[in-house]
Amino acid sequence: MTSVAWTRRRLAFGRFWDTFRGQRPGVIGLAVLVVAVVLALVAPLFIDESVTSVVTGTGAKMAAPSLDSPFGTDESGRSILLMVWWGSRTSLLIGFLAALLSIGIGTVIGIAAGHFRGWLGAVLMRVTDWFLVLPSLVTALVLAAILGGSTLTIIMAIGVTSWPSTARLIRAQTLAVEARPYIERSKALGGGHWHITTRHVLPNVAPLLLASTTLEVASAIVTESTLAFLGVSANKTSWGTMLRGSYDWGAANAGAWWYILIPGLCIVAVVMAFTLCGRALESVLNPRLRKAGA
Amino acid sequence: MKKLFARLAVLGVALLVAGQGQIAHAQEPAAGKKIVRVGATQAVDSMNPFLAVRLVSSSIHRLMYGFLTVPDPKTLQPSPDLAESWTTSEDGLTWTFKIRQAKWSDGQPVTAEDAAWTFNKVMTDDAAKTANGPAAENFESVTANGQDLVIKTKEPQASMLENPIPIMPKHVWEKVTDMANYDAETYPAVGSGAYIAVEHKKDQYVKLKANPDYWRGAPKIDELQVIFYDNPAASIVGLKKGEIDLIGRLAPPDFEALKGDPNIVQWNQQGRRASYLQINHGATTSDDKPIGDGHPALKDPKVRQALHYAIDKQKLADEVQGGLAKPADGSIVPPMYTDFFWEASGDTKITYDVAKANQILDDAGYKKGSDGVRTMPDGDKKLEFRFSIHTDTPIEDKLAEYLTGWFKEIGITLTTKKLDSSKFTEETGTTALFDIAISGWSVNPDPEEVLATHLCSRRPTPSGEGGGTESFYCDETFEKLYQEQLKELDRPKRAEIIKKMQERLYTDAPVIAIYYPNDLEGYRKDRITSITPIPEDNGILYGGSGFWPFYTVDAVAAPAAGSAESGSNTGLIAGVVGAVVVIGLGAFFLTRRRKSVADERE
Amino acid sequence: MTTPLDAAEPAVQAAGSGDGRPAHRGTLRYALSKAGGALLSIAMVIVGTFFAFRMLPGDPVRALAQGRNMTPEQLDLERHRLGLDKPLIDQFFDFVGKTLRFDLGTSYEYKRPVVDLIGDRLGATLLLAGAGLVIAVSLGLWQGIRAGWRPGSRFDRFSTGVSLVLWSVPTFWLGLLLLMVFAAGIGPIPGIFPTRGIESVDAPDGFAYLLDVGMHMVLPCLTLAAVIYAQYLLVMRSSLLDEVSQDYVTTARAKGLRDDEVRRRHAVPNALLPTVTLVFMRIGFVVGGAVTVEAIFSWPGLGQLFYEAIRVPDFTLMQGTFMLLTVSVILMNTLADVVYHVIDPRVRSA
Repeated sequence: MTSVAWTRRRLAFGRFWDTFRGQRPGVIGLAVLVVAVVLALVAPLFIDESVTSVVTGTGAKMAAPSLDSPFGTDESGRSILLMVWWGSRTSLLIGFLAALLSIGIGTVIGIAAGHFRGWLGAVLMRVTDWFLVLPSLVTALVLAAILGGSTLTIIMAIGVTSWPSTARLIRAQTLAVEARPYIERSKALGGGHWHITTRHVLPNVAPLLLASTTLEVASAIVTESTLAFLGVSANKTSWGTMLRGSYDWGAANAGAWWYILIPGLCIVAVVMAFTLCGRALESVLNPRLRKAGA
Repeated sequence: MKKLFARLAVLGVALLVAGQGQIAHAQEPAAGKKIVRVGATQAVDSMNPFLAVRLVSSSIHRLMYGFLTVPDPKTLQPSPDLAESWTTSEDGLTWTFKIRQAKWSDGQPVTAEDAAWTFNKVMTDDAAKTANGPAAENFESVTANGQDLVIKTKEPQASMLENPIPIMPKHVWEKVTDMANYDAETYPAVGSGAYIAVEHKKDQYVKLKANPDYWRGAPKIDELQVIFYDNPAASIVGLKKGEIDLIGRLAPPDFEALKGDPNIVQWNQQGRRASYLQINHGATTSDDKPIGDGHPALKDPKVRQALHYAIDKQKLADEVQGGLAKPADGSIVPPMYTDFFWEASGDTKITYDVAKANQILDDAGYKKGSDGVRTMPDGDKKLEFRFSIHTDTPIEDKLAEYLTGWFKEIGITLTTKKLDSSKFTEETGTTALFDIAISGWSVNPDPEEVLATHLCSRRPTPSGEGGGTESFYCDETFEKLYQEQLKELDRPKRAEIIKKMQERLYTDAPVIAIYYPNDLEGYRKDRITSITPIPEDNGILYGGSGFWPFYTVDAVAAPAAGSAESGSNTGLIAGVVGAVVVIGLGAFFLTRRRKSVADERE
Repeated sequence: MTTPLDAAEPAVQAAGSGDGRPAHRGTLRYALSKAGGALLSIAMVIVGTFFAFRMLPGDPVRALAQGRNMTPEQLDLERHRLGLDKPLIDQFFDFVGKTLRFDLGTSYEYKRPVVDLIGDRLGATLLLAGAGLVIAVSLGLWQGIRAGWRPGSRFDRFSTGVSLVLWSVPTFWLGLLLLMVFAAGIGPIPGIFPTRGIESVDAPDGFAYLLDVGMHMVLPCLTLAAVIYAQYLLVMRSSLLDEVSQDYVTTARAKGLRDDEVRRRHAVPNALLPTVTLVFMRIGFVVGGAVTVEAIFSWPGLGQLFYEAIRVPDFTLMQGTFMLLTVSVILMNTLADVVYHVIDPRVRSA
C-alpha cells in the first residue's frame, strides 16, 4: 500500500467515525459491547474455571441475591455473577467464531458469485438461494444432532446455516463495484481474477462486512442459547447452558428469578448491543438508509 | 381499515357473549363425575401393547389389560390376576394356569385361548417381540385347554409368575396382520382391566373410563385421564393450579417446588431404581476375546476399589438428588425390595475416604506425576478415564461434575463424554468404547432380569451383536449363584443366594452402586381423597409395578355447579380480557385515525 | 431469533430486481422457471438429507434399536427390512423413490409411518404458525408504516426500540417468562392461561370449544409473534422511507392530496410489496420459532414432534420432519416469487 492510500483510508475512517458518533443507539451499543468483550477477556485475571465447578461451589443452593453473592446462587450453590462472567467467554467465543465462519463462507461465495458471471455464478447463486430458504434453526439442530455436541460442532452448525444472507449482500455489492470503470481499466492492464477480487472488490465490500458480522454475532449468540436450550450444547458454561440449567433444575417453580432473569438479560443486552451497533454501521455505510435516523 | 376494526370489535363482543353463554354447557360432561387427571412428562409411544416400550404406555396398558399374575399389593409377591390358580410339574418345565371366568369389555368371555394366542404371537411374530420379547424367549409351547393354559418352557424359569405380557383379546387382535405397523387406535379399546381407553389425542392425553364389569369390581372413580406435558416446569404449575391431580416420577427440584402448598401431598418413598457406575474392567465378547478400548488400569480391582473409596455417596445423594435418595451401601437391588435387598456392613463396607483411596493406589504402584496425575506402574500411561453419560440429563451432568472433582483428588483425570441414548447403549453395551459409564436399572419385584444383565452370556457375540450386558461381567462365582437361584423355588432360600450375588458385585466392583433415588410424586388432596400405593405400606403411586394405586384411587366428584365456577371464571375472565383487548385496540385505532385526520385538516 | 434482521433485504432484492432475467418473459414462463427452480431445490433437499443422515456414525440399525435387546437374527432381519444390506447407490434410489411416493419410513420410537405422524400434527402447527404470523405481520406492518412515515418521531423511536428488544430475546426464554407470569401467575397477576396443549381434556363443543382453543393459543402465539414481528416492522419502515423520497410522492403532495391520502393511496401500496414478499421469504424462520414455542407450551404440533425426534433421537422421524419443513418452506417461497411477479407491475415490465 502506498502512503497516499493510507492517508486516504485514515481520512475515510475519520469521516466514518464522525458520522457513526452521530448515531446515538449505535454508540451506546458499541459501549456495551466494548465493556462486555473487555470483561470476558480479563476474566481469567480474576477468576478461573473453578467458579463453574460444583465441588468448589460452597454457597447455599438457590440462594437469593445477597452481599456474598450479589446475583444469587444456582442449584449447586455456585455464584450466578461469577458464572455469568465466566460464561460470557463461551457465549461470545461461539458468537464471534460462528459469525466469522458464516461471514467467511458468505464472502467467498458472494464475491465469486458476483465476479464469475455465467454458469459458475448461477450455480453459486442457486446454492445460496437454497441455503437461504432452509429453516436455519431446524437445520442447525439436525446438523448438531448428527455431528454431536461440542464447541466446534455448534460453531459449524450455526456458521453453515447462516451465511447465505451475507453471500447475497456481498454479491450485490460486488456487482456494483465491478460495474465501476476502474475495474475495467484494471482488467485491461492485465489484472487477473485474484487481483481484482482481493485488491479492488474486497476492500470495497469490507465495511459492509463489518456491519454484517456485527449483526451475525448477535444472531449466533441467540442461536447458541436456543440450541443449548433444546439440548445441544458443548460441555461448557455459557449463558445458554445456564438458562438450560435453570430450566432443568426448576428455578422457576422454586422462585429463583435471579437464575432465570440474569443470564437471559445478559443475552438480551449483548445481542441488543450488537444489533444496534450493526444497524448504525449499516446506516452510516449505506447512504440509502442514512436519513432514516435510527 | 375502519371496517376492519369495526369487525374486530364485533368479533370481540361475540367472543364475550358466546363465552358466557357456553360456560354452563361446557362444564356439563364433567359434572357429578369422579375424574382423576394424571400428568406425565412422556408422551405415549404406541397404544399397541406389543410395541409400546415407554413407561407411560405400559402404565396405561396395565390399567387396560389383565395379566396372568400381578404383584400382591401388600407383599409384591405374585398373586392371581386372570390366572386364578396354577400348578407346576415336577421338573419345573410345565406350568398350568387356570384362567378366571371374566369378561372382556365387549362382553365376550376371557378364555385360555386368548392367553395362548397372546403368548404365541409374541413367540412367533418378530414385531410383537418389541415390547416384551425376552419374557417369552424361554417358552417351548403355549396351549389352551378349556380354561387351562399350559406353558412348557425350555429351562426352569423362577420368574414365570412375573410375566409382564398383558393378555390380549384374541377375537379382536387376530385380525391384525401387520403387527409392526398396527397402532391400535380403535376406541373404546377392548380389554379386561379396570379401565377402558376411550380416547387418545396424540401428544396430548389418553382418556380412560372405569370398566363397570371389571371382575374385581368397578373402580371408585368414573374416569382417569393421563395428560402429557412436554415441559416439566409447566406440569408443576399445572398441579398447583389444579389442571392435573397427580404427577409421578418428579425430579428432586420439581418435588421441592411443591413444598408449602396446603392442597398438595408430597409423596416421597423408596424407589425401585438403583443408580450405579459401570466400569470397563476389561470387556470381552462371549468367546472371551477382548473388545473395546477400556483403560488398562481399570482391570486392576485395586483401582476400582480406590475409585469406590473416592466417591462420597452421601454428598451425591444430597447434592445431585437434593437429599431425596438413599446412598448405596449395597448393589443393584434397591432397598424397596426388602426380601432381596443386600447391604454391606463391617469390613466389607466401603465409605468415602480419599486418604485410603490414595493409599491403595500408592501401594499398587500408581505413582503421581508432576502434574498430580497418576501413571500405570509398568509404563507411562496416565490414569485418564472417560466418563460416558447421556445427553440431555441434568442429573448425570451434575454427577459427572462431582466425580471429576473427587477423582482429581486421587490423581485421576476424568473427562465427560456425552452420548445420545442409542450411541450410549452401543458404546457401553456392545462395543465397549468406554472407561466408566453411568448406569441404572428400574428393578422389578423379581430381580432376576437385573441380575441376568451381569451374566457371561449377555456379553456381545464375536460378530459384535449385543446381548444386553450391563457390565461385560463374566465371573464364575456369579454364574454359579445365578444358576442356583434359578432353580431354587423356595423364596427365602433364593433370596439368600441373590444377596450373595450382590455381595460379589459389590466387592469385585464391575459396577459401583451410588444411590437409590426416591420415588417422588405429588398429588392434590383436595381432589384425591384416597389412593393406595404399591406396596401398600411405603410404595409407589405412578409408574410402579402394579395397577393397584389407580384401581383404588378415590376422588371428589366434580360438583354440578361448584367446579364449573372455577372453570367458568377462567373462561369468563379470558373472554372479558379478550374482548376488552380487541375492542380497546379497535377503539384506539379509530380515535387515533380521527385525530390525525383532524390534525392534518387544519 | 436466528438470522440477522437485514438478511431480509437481499432476499427482497432477489425477488424484485431479478438479475439477468430476460425482460420480456411472460408470467407463465416465469412461473414455470420458478417451479423448475423449486423442483431443483427440493431435489437438493432430498439428496442432501440422504447423505447427511448416512454420515451418522455407528450402525443405523443399532441406533434404531436404541439398546433394546435384539438377537443377531433380529438385527439382520431389521437391516434387510430397511434395505441397509444393499449397496449405497441402491439405497439412494430406494430412498428417492420412497420419498417421492410420500413414504418417509417408519418411526422407531412411535412405530408408525412418519407421514402419519406428521399428518396428525400438521394442523396444530399450521394453526399456531399461521396465527402467530398474522399477528406479527399486522403488528409489524402497522407499526412499520407509522414509524416509516414519521421517521425520528417518538412513535418511531419507541416502536423500533421495543421491536429490537424483543428481537434480541431468545424465544424459549420469553416463552418461559410468559408461562411463569400468565399461566402460573405471580403476585397480583392471576395465571388465567392454561399451561399446556391446544385444548382442554374435557373440551366443550361448539363455540366454547373455539374459545377454549383460543385461550390455549394466547401465550404461544404471543411468544412467536413477539420475536418475529420486528423484521416486518423494520422492512416496512425502510421501504416506506424509500418511497417517501420518490418523485411521485412529492408530486402527489404538490397536487394537494392530504398527507394521509398520499400515504394510503400511493406510498404504502408500493412499499407493501417487498414486505409482503418478505413474509413468505422468511417463513423458515417462523418454523424455527415454532419448534421452541411448541416444546415449551406442549403444543402437539410438528415442532414438538421434531424436538422429540432430536431428543430420542429417532433419525427416521428427524429426517422426515426435516424434509417436510424444508420442502414446505421452499414451496412457500416459490409461491411468493410468482405472486410477487404477478402483482408487481415494476417487476413485470422490468
